[in-house]
Amino acid sequence: MTGAAAADQAGGAPALFALEGVTVRRGGAALLDHVTCEIPAGACTVVTGPSGAGKTTLLRLLNRLDERDSGRVLLLGRPLPDLDVLALRRRVALVAQAQVLLTDRVLDELRAGQPRLGDDEAAGLLEQVSLPSAMLARGTAGLSGGEAQRLCLARALAARPQVLLLDEPTSALDPASTSAVEQAARAFIATGGSVVLISHDPDQTRRIAGRVLTLHSGQLTATRHVPAAASLREVP
Amino acid sequence: MSTAVPTWAGVAASLALVAVAVAVAWRQRLHLAREITIAAARAGAQLAAVGAILLLVFQHAGPAGAAGWLTVMVLIAGQVAARRARGLPRAMPVATAAVAVGTAATAGTLLALGVISTQPRVVIPVGGMIVSGAMVATAVTLTRVLEEAAAARPAIEARLSLGMPASQAFAPHLHAALRTALVPSIDSTKTVGLISLPGAMTGLILAGVSPLTAIRYQIVVMYMLLAAAALAALAAARLAERTLFDDAHRLRPLPAPAGKDSGRHPARPA
Repeated sequence: MTGAAAADQAGGAPALFALEGVTVRRGGAALLDHVTCEIPAGACTVVTGPSGAGKTTLLRLLNRLDERDSGRVLLLGRPLPDLDVLALRRRVALVAQAQVLLTDRVLDELRAGQPRLGDDEAAGLLEQVSLPSAMLARGTAGLSGGEAQRLCLARALAARPQVLLLDEPTSALDPASTSAVEQAARAFIATGGSVVLISHDPDQTRRIAGRVLTLHSGQLTATRHVPAAASLREVP
Repeated sequence: MSTAVPTWAGVAASLALVAVAVAVAWRQRLHLAREITIAAARAGAQLAAVGAILLLVFQHAGPAGAAGWLTVMVLIAGQVAARRARGLPRAMPVATAAVAVGTAATAGTLLALGVISTQPRVVIPVGGMIVSGAMVATAVTLTRVLEEAAAARPAIEARLSLGMPASQAFAPHLHAALRTALVPSIDSTKTVGLISLPGAMTGLILAGVSPLTAIRYQIVVMYMLLAAAALAALAAARLAERTLFDDAHRLRPLPAPAGKDSGRHPARPA
């Protein structure tokens, strides 16, 4: 599928993201090898596969933190290099696997990418990720892994993105934090957003995925559509 | 040997000091005797050659010769500073440009204001001090910028992912690198005269100039070294930043950092 990959076959509308024969090479090795796929809007697409399969590389291509060596990546039918990269990154927010906090206070953290964020909006963002609004006055040092991950997610949401890219957001979290992150992703989709999430957890994939892309050694080995009802399941 | 400047016989006599160093190295089995001997021989030969060339330049070349001499010094200094920042993209042109900016701005200001003469016998030694100061500041800045960028990649990319341009995403790390690079210059300016008598002043006093006259020269030297270091460090940091990021505000691949924390506040495990 080449140019047609950008168009959703059902409705003719372009897919949220379309990858057309995308290859990424680093140091002679192909991290992604001629990957062609679509990522739909308004759903959670789970990217799965063993370590080193190219999942993170694929995610980082979508907000141009990485660049392809060949092929094309399109957002709603437009090649990514045609878009302003800074505007793209505000529209397509990435939350990395490493929980990196950039400031000393929780409120400042939420304002890192959105300096004019009001106190009420900041409290609302914390609620979206199931953190108490009282936490706004706290320092960021000493937050638990789950709290830090959810704060990173809230920081990304502060820029009001249309797409969330989540790189193994719950791999090191307890069940309560995992549930909070999944709930935030569902709420984001319910308000018209789209999520691309990397996960190693088959249960999580069953709970949240609308589409599953499976990568193996840089190649797309399976694309699976999950019925809408299945993707709305809550954490048991 | 009561003259202010040593005779050639005196220089030869000072070889006894090298013999002391060699004897210590030999007795302590440091395996440095050969290296000390070569270093001492090289120092003598290099300074003799430079002295002979300087004599020619002072006698026969005008300001153009001095400018040529300074240019060669800047090129060598750029090469030396770039070696400290292996792994930084385009390290050589970045380092050379930074040393050139620090040198040109500082020496240019001193010449334009008439603080120093345009004679080669003044421009070359003063310029040498400026180039040397700019080189050290450039080397430290580039090393620190590279280390910061490699170690703080997750934090930098977290900022880029929030839509910040590369300059804003890298700003805290650039400032940290600049602070590290400038602290030695600031400290040596603060303590000048208290810990040791600096080179220019020592030279003038040894040559028989009044200490009150010598300090005037030394004050100019300290100020110019501070300016050269600051300007070279700033230029090095800004130029390095441009080579670290591409047009799409992406941090380029860099050598792996030497075991440093990647983020500011690593969270406790869940």
